[in-house]
Formats: sequence, structure tokens, C-alpha cells
Amino acid sequence: MSEHPEPYDSPQHRDETAIAGMWLFLASEILLFGGLFLIFVVYSHSHAAGWALGVRHTSLVIGGINTVLLLTSSMVYILGVEAARNGNARGIIQAGLGAAALGMTFLCLKGWEWHTEFGEHLFPGPGFAIGGPQAGGAQLFYSFYFLSTALHGLHMLVGIGLIAWVCLRTYRGRGRLLQVMPVEVVGLYWSFVDLVWILLFPVLYLIGRV
Amino acid sequence: MMVHVLSCWVVLLMLLAVELFVAAAGSGWGIGACAGVMALLIAYGFMRITRAPALAFIFAVGGLFWLSILLALGSLDSFTRTNFPVGDTLSSTAHDPRTPPDTAP
Amino acid sequence: MAPISGPDTTQRSYLWQDGTVRSWLLTTDHKRIALLYMASITAFFVLGSVGAALIRLHLISPTGAILSDATYSRMFTMHGIVMVWLFLVPSIPVTLGNFLVPLMLGAKDLAFPRLNLISWYLFIMAGALVVYGLFRGGLETGWTFYTPLSTDYTQGRVLPVVAGVFLSGFSSIATGVNFIISIHQLRAPGLTWYRLPLMLWALYATSVIFVLATPVLSITLLLLAFEHFFHVGVFDPALGGDPLLFQHLFWFYSHPAVYIMILPGMGVVSEVVSTFCHKPVFGYRFVAWSSISIAAIGFLVWGHHMFVAGTSLYAAVVFSMLSFLVSVPSAIKVFNWLGTMHGGAIRLDAPMLYAMGFIGLFTVGGLTGLFLASLASDVHLTQTYFVVAHFHYIMVGGMVSAYFAGLHYWWPKITGRMYPEMWGRTAAALLFFGFNLTFFPQFILGYEGMPRRYATYPAQFQVLNVLSSAGASILALAYILPLIYFTWSLFRGAPATDNPWQATGLEWRTSSPPPVENFITPPVVTHEAYDYAALDHPDTAQRAEAPHV
Ligand code: HEM
Ligand SMILES: [Cu+2]
Repeated sequence: MSEHPEPYDSPQHRDETAIAGMWLFLASEILLFGGLFLIFVVYSHSHAAGWALGVRHTSLVIGGINTVLLLTSSMVYILGVEAARNGNARGIIQAGLGAAALGMTFLCLKGWEWHTEFGEHLFPGPGFAIGGPQAGGAQLFYSFYFLSTALHGLHMLVGIGLIAWVCLRTYRGRGRLLQVMPVEVVGLYWSFVDLVWILLFPVLYLIGRV
Repeated sequence: MMVHVLSCWVVLLMLLAVELFVAAAGSGWGIGACAGVMALLIAYGFMRITRAPALAFIFAVGGLFWLSILLALGSLDSFTRTNFPVGDTLSSTAHDPRTPPDTAP
Repeated sequence: MAPISGPDTTQRSYLWQDGTVRSWLLTTDHKRIALLYMASITAFFVLGSVGAALIRLHLISPTGAILSDATYSRMFTMHGIVMVWLFLVPSIPVTLGNFLVPLMLGAKDLAFPRLNLISWYLFIMAGALVVYGLFRGGLETGWTFYTPLSTDYTQGRVLPVVAGVFLSGFSSIATGVNFIISIHQLRAPGLTWYRLPLMLWALYATSVIFVLATPVLSITLLLLAFEHFFHVGVFDPALGGDPLLFQHLFWFYSHPAVYIMILPGMGVVSEVVSTFCHKPVFGYRFVAWSSISIAAIGFLVWGHHMFVAGTSLYAAVVFSMLSFLVSVPSAIKVFNWLGTMHGGAIRLDAPMLYAMGFIGLFTVGGLTGLFLASLASDVHLTQTYFVVAHFHYIMVGGMVSAYFAGLHYWWPKITGRMYPEMWGRTAAALLFFGFNLTFFPQFILGYEGMPRRYATYPAQFQVLNVLSSAGASILALAYILPLIYFTWSLFRGAPATDNPWQATGLEWRTSSPPPVENFITPPVVTHEAYDYAALDHPDTAQRAEAPHV
């Protein structure tokens, strides 16, 4: 690749630019999930009963455990960011692996939850398990459920990939000057994925349950 | 710093517990409030929005502002539609072929 | 303000520095990426135009001349999707913008050069998917993909096309992020916000839409694909789902997107009008802020596309009033351009002819928008050729004219060659004439009730349709001409000087074509935007400026 001159004045200028760029991208992500939340706002009102019926069929135990896992994973990763600020490469790798492992556990639990739901015919379509007058609303809920968890899961996969990349480049770069910025930028993304879950969790598991 | 992060995490877990508790009591608003506070805590405690460049804050607020436009104007129609109400009778037809009786556990 | 570059820099111009194909395909130089975009969108423009030509040919006869009904639907869908997402959205902002943003900022490159290259690859993948889908069966939904037609009833290739448009969205987001961050972070010393060329204000506003509206299109298409592929209901009325929710989500993106397809054109016109009148833009701050307010208010009006779709009357009233609001900043711009031209010594070179065409045609398009934004008249006009004429006046008469204005204006900078001026003027005049002949009859057709998107029409509409098709052939000529003489000028055109138009922007202070690093010495800005006095009398201006430096 023909190397083109870098447009920054200083390393600090470059880092600041990267962090601002990540925040702008996250603003864009807000609107991506925003479209899903509009579906929730509209249907949970216009089909309140059916929607709530759907919510009652989700597994609160798995959802709750997953929330704790994800919060912890975020926290662990932030410890890695602190380690990076202190120039501690080992700390980054340990925290990164820990956060990624917690994330993988989340995904495994989620997969298992999906598996049982498929078994119970809760995937919308001709054989849908919930019948009666509220069936339509419940199906709409489950369409929303599967799509939003899939989209969130996809973001988690990307996040785990990014964390793995951070660990790898820290490992390869041992002995050289540690770059904090990539660790931090990935941390922003990872926390954002957590934040989205914090808002999805009540929508998928709590509101309308009682 | 570590203390800061850990205490944030503890508060988040406590808020989660409160959220579950409130949910059991059936308060939709309570759930929303808990979730909102938790989200803010992540933005301030984990993402350190106050320490980021000032632009970051502007972008975050901008994103939320546009989100509110999407949600407010986007739901305005459904919430005020009187000519063809949303969720009309179609959804509750008992003989809809797609909706066999409830067999879920 | 003499050009900073020495004569030897042409050897190291970005064009010829490294000629291998590999160096072009892996380049992170924003100028080369701009050319990659230019080549790709030109190809897509040709494809979309072939579709348009076939549509117009078909409509010469009331019973339809050449296509079957089904093919006709696929043809206008192809035309719309290709023109909107593969040509117009990336035309000025991404193509010219990529070339210009760093140069106008006095920077070496965009903030994230590699992201920029990735965005081009995303775009190419998007284009490939769309073209694949359109050729392997096509799609009959129109560019709007309304459900449940697109989910349950379509016989066409929804998935590849939707996936392609989805990917092109990520390309847009990447570019938008890059531009916004660059404008914030990479301004040359002394280049304050109010010294930015108005083109950059327009591109900033466009990028805001890229970043905040495009993700909503992404999620909408995802929902659509999900519903279509897995046969689950999201918008399915059989489950009580609301198809209008799809339209809300779609237009939340697509109305702001129509401003993606006009704001950058307004930026170009501001530059061109100022340069060819050799006067600062009248009311700089109004023009600058009107770009931002168009972008902002543009998010509040999307419901005007759904007045007869069965939306709530209350929502319709709100959306109608907000739509009137958005025409205010648009009008501000028009009046400020006219104010700039007033009393100026106007040079009528090709870019200026195109820009003046833009002003006239955009005004017609904008004013007819008000007819459509009024609830009562929209009931009569919606879904007719009136709407078709309305948006073509803006998107083709406006934006495509502006794209050509920009191409001619910056061509010397991009390639280092002049285009043949006489041919340029001829093409500009042909474009204006051909355009009006094509689309003005459509206003009348629509007013008289000819619906859009049908393959046949009552015989009483034939005369106007034939006129329209005749205009289209002139329009085609006006597009082919520049293709020929631009290509010619690449090899035979007279070498361009650094500042052939006596313009003020930073991009004119480097050589034509610019060196790889854009400026041999990083520029420092000491003047307001459009300071022609300083350009014409550098010595006195320099002295006057001295205390500030
Ligand atoms: C000056 C402000 C504008 C107003 C008030 C306005 C108003 C409208 C209205 C009310 C409609 C809906 C007509 C109907 O379907 O019944 C419409 C359609 C349309 N407008 Fe505009 N418009 C404006 C500017 C623009 C601009 C700047 C563009 C593009 C660059 C544009 C592109 C379109 C397109 C593409 C459609 C048709 C969409 C479709 O149904 O396929 N408009 N406009
Ligand atoms: Cu619109």
C-alpha cells in the first residue's frame, strides 16, 4: 500500500480524532437501534395485551444472568483500559480475555435460550405456539425479540473480535511503546453494546411481565 | 481509578436488583427509570464521557436528540390514528390460519 | 497569495506518482479515492440512464411500445434504485467531496484515510449486489420497497437488492463520519468556522444526514429482509402489524436523503456563483446556517409522503406545517445567490451556466413541493406525474446540474487540464433545454391525472408523453457530450493553471493537479472566505492583515 501522509499534527491529535470518530459512529448506532425501539414503542401500545403475553414467555432467569454477565464484562474491560493508561500490557490482555470470555458466555446462554424457544415453537410463523385472540401481538413481539437479540448478538461478536484484536496487537507489541487509544476506542464500543442491552433487557423481559 | 470502576459496577448491579424488584411490583415507569439511570451510569462511569473530547458529548446528545425525533414523530401517527386504528380486528380473528390455540408451556 | 507550489511539483502530482493498478486500488489518498468513486458512479449513471431511456421509449405509445407490463415495473425500479443510491447519493458529496474536503481544509487527507478506502469497497460491493439482483430477475417494488408488496407478494429478487442498498448505507455512514470529524479536527491554522467555504458547510450538513438518517434505513431494510426471508410478521397486517410503520421508517431516512441529494449541490452553486461573479456570497452566515437548518428540519417532515396512506389526520397536519417550514431556508439560499449575482460582473463560463440552471430548476422543484405539502392539493396530485416532475426538477434539474457545474469547475484542479469551453457551454444549454422539455410536460400530465408507475396510459395523454420522450433524447445528448469532451481533455486539453477561475478557496492555492501531500507547505489562512480583494491585490491586503498575523 502506498503510504499516504498522515493528516494529524501530533499523536495526541490523532488519538483525540479517533475517539471523537468512535463517538460519532456510536451516535449513528443509536439511530440503528432506534428504529427497533420505534417498533417497540408502537406495537407495545397498539397490541399491549399480545405483546405482554409474549414478554411473559421469555426466560427471565437467563436474561437476568446475561445482564449481570455483560455488566461485569464491561467493567472488566474498563479495568483493562485503566491498565493501558498505566502502561501495563499484561493488564490489558488479562482484562481483554476476561471480558471476551464473559461475552462468549453471554452468547452461549443466549444461544441456549434461542434453542429452547425454537423448541417451544416461539419463533413466529405457521406453527407459532401462542394462540387465541392475542396471537398476532405475541408474534409481533417475538419477531422483535429475535431480530433485536440477533442484532445485539452480532454487535457482541464484532466486539469480541475487536477485543481479540486489541489483545493480539498488545501481545505482539510487547516491549514497544504501548498505544492506549485502540484499547480505549474498543472499550467505548464494548460499553455501548452493554448499554444497548441494558435498554433491551427491560423491553424483552420485564415491561408487561406482571 | 479502579475503585471508581468497581463502585460503578456495584451500583449497576444494585440498580439491576432494584429494577427486578420494581418489575415484580408491576411499575412500568420504575423499570424505565432504573434502566435510564443504568444507561447514564455506563456512559459516565465506563465510557467516561466527561473525559472524552467535547465533541463526544455533542455527538452523544445529538444522537439522543435525533432518536427522540424518530420516536416522537414516528409514534405520533399510530397514537393519534382514528380513521384506521392500528391493531384492527385482523389481529384478533380467532380463525386466522396462522394462530392455532395456545400450546406453550 | 501566490501559488505555493513550485513548477517541479507536477512531476509528483497525485495522478502520476505511481501508475500501477495496485497503487490505485489500495490507495488511501482521498484524491485517488475520489476518482475511483467518479469512475464507478459514472458507470452506474450510464446504467440508470439506459433504464430511463427504455422507460421513455416505452411511453411513446399509450399501450406501451416495447416492454411488457412486468418488465416496465422492473425497469423503473432499477432506474430509481440505481440513480438514487448508486449515483445521486454518492455524486457530489462522496465524489467531489472526497476530492475537496481535505483541500478546502488545507489538510493532507481526511481524518480516517483507510476508512475512506473501505467505504469505497463497501460501495462497490453494494453496487455489485444491486446490479446482480436487478439483472437476475429484478424487482417490481419501486425504489421505495413498500411492504407488504416487497415482503409477501413480490416475484423479484428482494434479498440481493436490499442487501446492496444496506451495504451502500454503511459506505455513506463511513464517509459522513470521515467528513464531520475532518471538518472539526483538520482545519488549517486560521481557518475558523466562518471562514470555511460554503461547500464545506453544505457537506457538513449532508454528513449529519448520512450519519443520523442512514442507520434507520439500515434497520428498516433489515426488518424487511427478515420478514421476507423468514416469513415472520413485522409489518404484516395479517398479524395486526402496521405496514405504515415501514413507511415511517423508510421516509425517516428517505426524506432527509432527498436533502443528501440537494444540499451538496447548493454548496457547489455557492462556490460557483461567488467565483464567476467575483464577489463574496451575499449573506454568508445565512447561507451557512441555512444548510444546517435544512438538514435539521429535513428530519421533521417525512410524513408528507404518506398523506393519503391512511395516517392519522393530526400527524398529517403536523407534517404538512413542518414541510412548509423547510422551504424557508431553501428560499434563503436562492435569494442569497441572486443577491450575490446582483450587480456582479457575471462571467458565463460553463460552470456558471450549470449553476444558473440549477437555481431556476431548483426553484421550480421547491415551489411545486409546496403544492404537494398542502394536504388538500396533495390528495389530487399524489401518485401522479406531478410528483415525478417535482422530484426530477430537484434531483436532476438541480443536483445533476450542480454535479456537472462542479465537475467543470474543479476539472482543471482534478486533472490539470482545461475542458473545451465552447462545448461545455453547449452541453449546459442543452441540459437546461432538454430537461425542461422532458419534465415540464409531466407537471401537466400529473395535474390532468396521469398516475405514475403504470405501463400504459389513456390516449389523450400521448402528445405530452411524446414531447417528454423527445426531451429525454436531448437530455441524453447533453450527458453524452461531457463524457466525450472530458475524456478528450484528459489527453488533449490545454494545461490548467493553478487558479484558472480566480477563485479564493484553499484548493486553488496548490498546483493543478495537486501533489500527493496536497500542499507543499501547509497553508495558513489569514482572510475571510471569498476575499477577492485580497486575491486581486495581495500586497495591500497582506499589509492590512499584518497586525493580525
Ligand atoms: C422545498 C422543499 C420540499 C417540499 C416542501 C417537498 C414536498 C414533497 C412532498 C409533499 C412530496 C410527496 C408527494 C406525494 O407523494 O404526494 C414530495 C415527494 C418527493 N420529493 Fe419533495 N419536497 C421538497 C424538496 C425536495 C427535495 C430537495 C428533493 C430531492 C432532492 C425532493 C425529492 C422528492 C422525491 C424523490 C419525492 C417522491 C418520492 C416518491 O414517492 O417516490 N423533494 N416532496
Ligand atoms: Cu419528502
